[in-house]
Amino acid sequence: MTEVDRRVVARGARALRAESSSVLVATIVLVLLIGVLRPAFLTVGQLKDVLNNSVYVALLAAGMAFLLAMREIDLSVGAMFGLSLITSALLMRDGFDPWLACLAGIALGAVLGLANALVVQHIAIPAFVATLATMQLYRGLAVALGDGQQVTGLPLEHSFFAVLGGDLLGLPVSVWILVVVTAGLTVVLRWTPFGYRVRSIGSNPDAAAFSGISIPRTRLYVLVLVGAVAGLAGVLGLAFFTSGDPNIGIGFELQAIAAAVIGGTPLRGGVATVVGAVFGAVLLGVVSSGLVYFSIPANWSSFATGLVVLLAVGVDSALRSRQRARESMLGL
Amino acid sequence: MHALTACGITKAYGGVTALAGADLTLRPGSVHALLGENGAGKSTLIKVITGAVAPDSGSLRLADAEVSFASTAHAAANGVAVVSQELNLFPDLDVLANLYPMREPTRGPLLDRRAMLDRAVPVLRQLGLDVDPRVRLGTLSLAQRQLVEIAKALIVEPRVLILDEPTSALDPDSSERLLDILRVLRDRQVAVVFVSHILEEVMTLCDEITVLREGRTVLDAAPRSSLDIGGIVHAMLGQDLPTVSRGTSRRIGPGLELRGVSVPDRLSDVSLTCSGGEIVGLAGLAGSGHTAVLEVIAGLRRPSSGSVALPGGKFPSSFRSAIASGVALVSGDRRRVGLMLDKPVWENVAQVQPVALSSRGLLRPSTLRASASTLAAQVQVRPLNVDLRAGLLSGGNQQKAVLAKWLAAAPTVLLLDDPTRGVDLGARAEIHSLLRMVADEGKVVVLCSTDLDELVAACDRVLVFHKGTVCAELTDFDQHTILRTMNTGAP
Repeated sequence: MTEVDRRVVARGARALRAESSSVLVATIVLVLLIGVLRPAFLTVGQLKDVLNNSVYVALLAAGMAFLLAMREIDLSVGAMFGLSLITSALLMRDGFDPWLACLAGIALGAVLGLANALVVQHIAIPAFVATLATMQLYRGLAVALGDGQQVTGLPLEHSFFAVLGGDLLGLPVSVWILVVVTAGLTVVLRWTPFGYRVRSIGSNPDAAAFSGISIPRTRLYVLVLVGAVAGLAGVLGLAFFTSGDPNIGIGFELQAIAAAVIGGTPLRGGVATVVGAVFGAVLLGVVSSGLVYFSIPANWSSFATGLVVLLAVGVDSALRSRQRARESMLGL
Repeated sequence: MHALTACGITKAYGGVTALAGADLTLRPGSVHALLGENGAGKSTLIKVITGAVAPDSGSLRLADAEVSFASTAHAAANGVAVVSQELNLFPDLDVLANLYPMREPTRGPLLDRRAMLDRAVPVLRQLGLDVDPRVRLGTLSLAQRQLVEIAKALIVEPRVLILDEPTSALDPDSSERLLDILRVLRDRQVAVVFVSHILEEVMTLCDEITVLREGRTVLDAAPRSSLDIGGIVHAMLGQDLPTVSRGTSRRIGPGLELRGVSVPDRLSDVSLTCSGGEIVGLAGLAGSGHTAVLEVIAGLRRPSSGSVALPGGKFPSSFRSAIASGVALVSGDRRRVGLMLDKPVWENVAQVQPVALSSRGLLRPSTLRASASTLAAQVQVRPLNVDLRAGLLSGGNQQKAVLAKWLAAAPTVLLLDDPTRGVDLGARAEIHSLLRMVADEGKVVVLCSTDLDELVAACDRVLVFHKGTVCAELTDFDQHTILRTMNTGAP
């Protein structure tokens, strides 16, 4: 091995450690554990289902990682997801071209994110508070637009449903889209000036402002980005479910935050991993579908999920404090 | 009889001697000024008297009984109270609750608001604080809050009251009120220690003066009438230092110009020019306007009239526009506004140029590390490891990292606000030679400092501010001239 090789390997290992930390290992271990105890879980079809069901929270978590990195939170992601889904469904039902409606759904997500940013900016309140309100607004809009009913009667024979709801190379197309988005957002967060700004602000907002970084502008971009990603998740959801339920995505915001945190993005800001957040969402998906195999009554599944979240975060926190102790012993 | 006598107090932190046999004698009913340069040992002596630190040797007598305080609470119980620089008040509680932190009179498990009120009202009235004790503290003005802080100290009926730079938070016309308060305190036979940087104020308010220099008492309870400002300055600084001759300042690059700049309550009609290649010092007492000049140049404060031209002619309309036109601002508060302490040095160094200013393309950590290494080596950050978290560097090296981050942006104007606050002497000298290096490249360097030695060591000329105007431009100067000029307003 040459010196250069060694450095490349070291860099690869460092990137892997920074990105996925323990959540990837935890996910794989959990899948294998369930598989050993309940072999039926380890079928291609079942694992594909788990992935497919995790895509939406995973996308929301990927956006949430950006916000957490700059010490902000968006509680309206679940509602933006729902409203985009319903709006695209309504447009399709009313005869618009489904691909056009799909683009409109994503654009609507971005506009909703922009609205969040403007509220934060002009009322001068934290995003947490602003999105607590807009979450209700957007959800209310979704319910009102859908008239409280499922939106059905969509042109299901259209290529939109076949493509986005279908498979490619053995995996659902939505999973491939998740992979592409995750890779793209990782590049943005880790290798662009914008990503550095986001993490700078979370690390020390005063120092960031005193270095000439515009906090309002950066926050606006991030909130729009999160909205657009939620819109994308919405149209993917529509392609898969083939009908519009105005109540879909309730509670996704909290799952997305939990996924990001499990994945190794702390609430204190400054650091974030998009890959970790996505795996966090997959881990949550594995837990909730795994529970079915252990005949845990449906009424207890939320309780069990909570336990798993606590366990995952607790183990991660313990590992990190050991890592820190080792660093300080080495005088790093 | 003395209220308090401190005799031969010594205290060393590690290898650094803070006090080397300091004495302080306080009489009841007298206002006593405690003076000294930064680092002369004033705050350590105050901490010893209030029980915050234990002295290495020396004795402390309170009304002729030997005491040694184990804690500040112990000192407070013995009648030694402090009104500190920062107000330790709770804005969301009412005035009454603020007067009794941790020692509320109670009846059973409940507060005895009646007793609290009975004790508070006479004190508040005596201080002339005419507010309802039940209003929320947050609704009071800064000056009123200062009075609440003093009332809080008086409620325990102290025998010794230490006012640590009490006027820093008060409005300009506060001397009058402070005189009244001191009159009240004299009547109550309290021994007051008054710590201040503002010598004019000391001369109007105090009865006796003690001056510390290098941890020793050099002027022990001298009556005010026997002294003038020149004499006090002499005692603070020691023997006359040779005046450094500066020669003609070098002007090799485009300069910076302020013409007729006014900022309400800060600056009135200030004009100045700083050329590339020279290091210009700005001196003055707190609130005299020298830091406001930095803020105007950096675009953090908009002048109400007058013009500001950066090298190249641009006007700094906002902080970001100032940075884009080549302004760099190094603050002494490096931990709060200078650095991301949880991030490695290379990310901190990258924060201005590649991160805040560029907008396109990808940033490669390896490239950023390499250029950060070059800059860190140039400013001599030690240890020279850009992967180290910034929080683990020493104060001086943290400040060098801040400098490196600004040098990365290739500024044409380098502004510094107390850059070596809390930095050891070696690193301080290195930072000063870095400033000279920057100036020699034709950049404008403007240095605000509360440290007179720093101004003398680093600057080509010093502009002294007094009450919002430039009162003198010094080209031949030493610590004495600067200190005297900033206190009297006349060169």
